[in-house]
Amino acid sequence: MRALSGLLGARAPTPRLLLLLQCLLATARPGSADDSAPDTPFTTPPVREEMMEKYSNFSLESHNISLTEHSSMPVEKNITLERPSNVKLTCQFTTSGDLNAVNVTWRKDDELLENNYLVNATGSTLYTQYRFTIINSKQMGSYSCFFQEEKEQKGTFNFKVPELHGKNKPLISYVGDSTVLTCKCQNCVPLNWTWYHSNGSVQVPVGVQMNKYVINETYANETKLKIKQLLEEDGGSYWCRALFQLGESEEHIELVVLSYLVPLKPFFAIVAEVVLLVAIILLCEKYTQKNKKHSDEGREFEQIEQLKSDDSNGIENNVPRLRKNESTGQ
Amino acid sequence: MVRAAEPPDGGWGWMVVLSAFFQSALVFGVLRSFGVFFVEFVAAFEEQASRISWIASIGIAVQQFGSPVGSALSTKFGPRPVVMTGGVLAALGMLLASFATSLTHLYLSIGLLSGSGWALTFAPTLACLSCYFSRRRSLATGLALTGVGLSSFAFAPLFQWLLSCYAWRGSLLLLSAISLHLVACGALLRPPSLAEETAVGGPRAQLTSLLHHGPFLRYTVALTLINTGYFIPYLHLVAHLQDLDWDPLPAAFLLSVAAISDLVGRVASGWLGDAVPGPVTRLLMLWTTLTGVSLALFPIARAPTALVALAVAYGFTSGALAPLAFSVLPELVGTSRIYCGLGLLQMIESIGGLLGPPLSGFLRDVTGNYTASFVVAGAFLLSGSGVLITLPHFFSCFSAATSRPQDLVTEALDTKVPLPKEGLEED
Repeated sequence: MRALSGLLGARAPTPRLLLLLQCLLATARPGSADDSAPDTPFTTPPVREEMMEKYSNFSLESHNISLTEHSSMPVEKNITLERPSNVKLTCQFTTSGDLNAVNVTWRKDDELLENNYLVNATGSTLYTQYRFTIINSKQMGSYSCFFQEEKEQKGTFNFKVPELHGKNKPLISYVGDSTVLTCKCQNCVPLNWTWYHSNGSVQVPVGVQMNKYVINETYANETKLKIKQLLEEDGGSYWCRALFQLGESEEHIELVVLSYLVPLKPFFAIVAEVVLLVAIILLCEKYTQKNKKHSDEGREFEQIEQLKSDDSNGIENNVPRLRKNESTGQ
Repeated sequence: MVRAAEPPDGGWGWMVVLSAFFQSALVFGVLRSFGVFFVEFVAAFEEQASRISWIASIGIAVQQFGSPVGSALSTKFGPRPVVMTGGVLAALGMLLASFATSLTHLYLSIGLLSGSGWALTFAPTLACLSCYFSRRRSLATGLALTGVGLSSFAFAPLFQWLLSCYAWRGSLLLLSAISLHLVACGALLRPPSLAEETAVGGPRAQLTSLLHHGPFLRYTVALTLINTGYFIPYLHLVAHLQDLDWDPLPAAFLLSVAAISDLVGRVASGWLGDAVPGPVTRLLMLWTTLTGVSLALFPIARAPTALVALAVAYGFTSGALAPLAFSVLPELVGTSRIYCGLGLLQMIESIGGLLGPPLSGFLRDVTGNYTASFVVAGAFLLSGSGVLITLPHFFSCFSAATSRPQDLVTEALDTKVPLPKEGLEED
């Protein structure tokens, strides 16, 4: 990267010719950002061509930010990058004032970058372009373009490795059971996955002990850690780390290991309540039936007495008896 | 001692309604909310979704197929001991499931054991309910069945909360304790004092007489057809909505809307079934036709408002036909054979319930969307309602319940079974 910037710096002596050619090319092909060759009108020195070939099989990432003199808040753009790439960042600044009075600078994380960026003016818009290559994690970070007029307008490109999306709820399991912790990366393929366990503050890498831990990586974008025969000490925080060429990404999973006594207490409470309910219902019924039987027996006794008295009254009372039988027979 | 010849239509009957309410909540509410456990099982056993779905399917199948057994046993022993045993079995199944180490273990414990427990509870309870009510039978059944709707609401968040505190093993343990309340519900089922009704013929004689009963067989066919289409929206509506690019949260909300209108439909239809004179079969046919129509219209609706309206309509009409389906039966076969009739009916209509969803899924796989599935479901419902027209007393102006129960019994039973005529003139 340093060699490249040095070679680009060699173009500094002829800025006006550069600007003219840049403007001509910009008007001929506005906004296209696919290839690199037309933007470099000079015959490139051989060393630089070799470098370009080495990085030419990387993809090109192009990003734009538009600013005006009235932008009140700094404009930010978040870019997720997984593999080494060639990067082209363009900032455009529209103002009604004098374009030549605008001071254009680029910074990476507050560090001022050298003169390896291009500046171009068309009409009332100022374009600036910064091209570089991201190979490892040192080149990741925030790149900002600054337009200094009366106020300073800033546009920032934030480069980050892909994030792992995790569940926020803790995983609950029981002593003696086995559980599976999963880490998944949505649209990315890490080079490597590692698991860490922290019970307290110290992070300990999870080794692959035969009967305890099994790491399963059937798909490249996910990893599964199976822990067998859980103990209470196995609870705590687990971290899965995804390693990319351009950095690392981490996810936190909480594991809670309960003993069987925990749900057993409410279980027995509810069972006791059910037994109580059943007892109450059956006892109530026995009580009401006993009362009913007493009252029924009393009524039957009265009926028997009535019949006896009817019998003793003679045959003329057969008619009422028949009627009574008919009514009960329905 | 004078025994009541007519069902009391009240009194202890309302306690039976309460018991049936909680039972339908504990049986069907649990089954419907089992989807919450689904995700946990997939993660814990690392199995495919289709294999996990079999747990609930086996449970439902055993519950419905085992209904005749429950009914036969309750004819012999009365509903109370049978339901209490069923409650113990259901709780035991869940308890054993909490120790499961493999999927087969879950199939056997939840599917077979709990399923047979549920089989022993539901049919006897509804039959017992029909013994206690005649004029207000539909309302009582409707109120009892609202337990399903309310519990689907309450149990889903409850299960989620249990899962977040205790994971699936502890949750199944607590679910077993909750299911034990079925025993308490069974204790409430005091046998009604209709001696001359309940002791007519043994269970086997009743079953044979039912199988020769023309209207009963036609009714079974109708309900089987209805059952084939009935469950499809519950399973496939969410998937259909996601095909139409709905987010999961609004789709779940639509199902809740349908569930609320299902609840309202049950109670309204129960009240209407008793208030409107004439046979209940006519109302049942009306609701079934409307359900079929609303199902068939589902694929045509694209706009959210149309889908919400159809969901409300489907929920209301499908909830409305549920209590009526159970209250038509006593009018057809009489309260003496209600236990056996209900059991047999559940068993045969379960064929529809088992075949409907896979058929719908198959149509979806073949055609690529759910249009054919919904239309076929609607067609099944409409054909079921067509068969309902062939039932007796359909076009009469008087309700079949006004005919005396003893007449239905005497004309339907074989001459081989001796009629205990002496019981009819008991003092």
